[in-house]
Amino acid sequence: MTGTPVIQVDGLTKRFGQVTAVNNVTLSVTENKIYGLLGRNGAGKTTLMQLLTGQEFATSGSIRVWGEHPVENAHVLSRVSFIKESQKYPDDFKVKHVFRSAPWFFAGWDADFAARLIEDFRVPLDRRVKKLSRGQLSAIGVIAGLASRAPITFFDEPYLGLDAVARQTFYDRLLADYAEYPRTVILSTHLIDEVSALLEHVLVIDEGRILIDEDAETLRGSATTIVGARAAVDGFVADRDVLHRSGLGGLSTVTVTGLSESDRAAAAAAGLELAPVSLQQLVVDRTSGIPTELEQSA
Amino acid sequence: MSTPSITHRAETTGAFARILSVVRLQLVNPWTIVIWPWIIMGIIFIANLVIWWILSLSLGPEVIASEASGGGGVEINGGSLYIFIYMMVVAIMAMNLTFSFALGFGATRRDFYLGSALTFVLLSAMYAVALAILAAAEKATDGWGLNGHIFRAVYFGDGGFLANLWIFFVLFLFFFFVGAVIATVFVRWKATGVTILACVVALLLVGVAALIGLTNNWGTFAGFFVHWGFLGSYTWSLVITAIAALAGFFILRRATPRG
Repeated sequence: MTGTPVIQVDGLTKRFGQVTAVNNVTLSVTENKIYGLLGRNGAGKTTLMQLLTGQEFATSGSIRVWGEHPVENAHVLSRVSFIKESQKYPDDFKVKHVFRSAPWFFAGWDADFAARLIEDFRVPLDRRVKKLSRGQLSAIGVIAGLASRAPITFFDEPYLGLDAVARQTFYDRLLADYAEYPRTVILSTHLIDEVSALLEHVLVIDEGRILIDEDAETLRGSATTIVGARAAVDGFVADRDVLHRSGLGGLSTVTVTGLSESDRAAAAAAGLELAPVSLQQLVVDRTSGIPTELEQSA
Repeated sequence: MSTPSITHRAETTGAFARILSVVRLQLVNPWTIVIWPWIIMGIIFIANLVIWWILSLSLGPEVIASEASGGGGVEINGGSLYIFIYMMVVAIMAMNLTFSFALGFGATRRDFYLGSALTFVLLSAMYAVALAILAAAEKATDGWGLNGHIFRAVYFGDGGFLANLWIFFVLFLFFFFVGAVIATVFVRWKATGVTILACVVALLLVGVAALIGLTNNWGTFAGFFVHWGFLGSYTWSLVITAIAALAGFFILRRATPRG
């Protein structure tokens, strides 16, 4: 089941005037996995997803979804669900109109599942979409994305404005439904800690470039924080790839990449403490403008 | 049992089915497109009836009647014109926000445009039939018993039921597709595009007027309408409608739904 690429992107670039929103991106997305598309606001996440779903036109490069161009391709687009965070709705639309029309566009739409989700997220069906809160708008996108059961489903900032209960509900429903109906999920967010446990593969985008394209497990093990006396820490990390460094008095905390078993043993022998690094911390370290030699693009 | 895979299950539905989905999407909230226009039309109609009734009370029925027989009565009435303008606004909204929404649901620009165009044709037909029936009823009842003119305004001519039906139909098409092309210009080039379009259209109109004036051809110009009559002249609007419809299609094919 693994290994079949459903999306293949090569040298993709999108410019808006002087701004390069997506810069020479090459990546491939494997069938039936959950991807995280992580990055800061304005990093190019939404533009990349709009390019993949034919909503934007590429400046250069190629996109293949199931081997075909997505632009104006009903064969591809009818099997893709992408309610973007900034989705516009017709002025006169109430929430019920969104869910009434959804089955006409998604062959796999499950009306019962949608009804349960509407209850779970407490979305008011009779309210105008214009009048919804940010969290309720996010809930509409989440419900449409889940109930459409599209073979490729994008979630664009699904957590925006959702309260803790709703975030947990999304997490649970997505995992349960994904287990029953495997599909390719691409989830964009800048709230990384919230989703990190969901993700099987991580794509980090910054200023239009893909900085990280890695299996989530591998990535979590790819960096380690070392804590100890400043002199000992400095000695240990002298010729290593340092992602982050901070200190307090005589104590030093340094995050480095790629520690082998023998490195760990050596660190322990030197009286240093080792701690795993959260996905969020990794992404912050890699995208906060520290030297570019840390970039490890594919 | 193997895990149900949904990847290849959803076979692409036929092109016409996809276009029909867009029609249904455009009509999913009938209040905006069907119910409100008729409620407003009804209110305008009743208001007019009351005015005619007051007039006939104060001026005496014979004054109104003489106007009817002698012509020059109050035949100009914007009451039924409102519905054409309303439909132009409907077309603008349907092309702008519904476009973003339909693309979010995976519709192609092509299917969206063709589905919307089909919706406009269907709505034109429905409204034309309704207005033609109302015009016939107005005629049969001598202007609702008060010699009123609302569905038989003078600028529609009155060539009988079929002529009225056709004129209403082509007029609705005109307002729908002109509204649609304005909206596609907005979707693609935003307010700047609409401003430029307005300037270009204004310049063209002034240019044509200047050309006619300088060549002393106003007589010929008027002669065109006299020659073709109400029915023929309105039918010629289909040329503009068709240009607008085609332009709208090609403009939208390269448009993007941006926030």
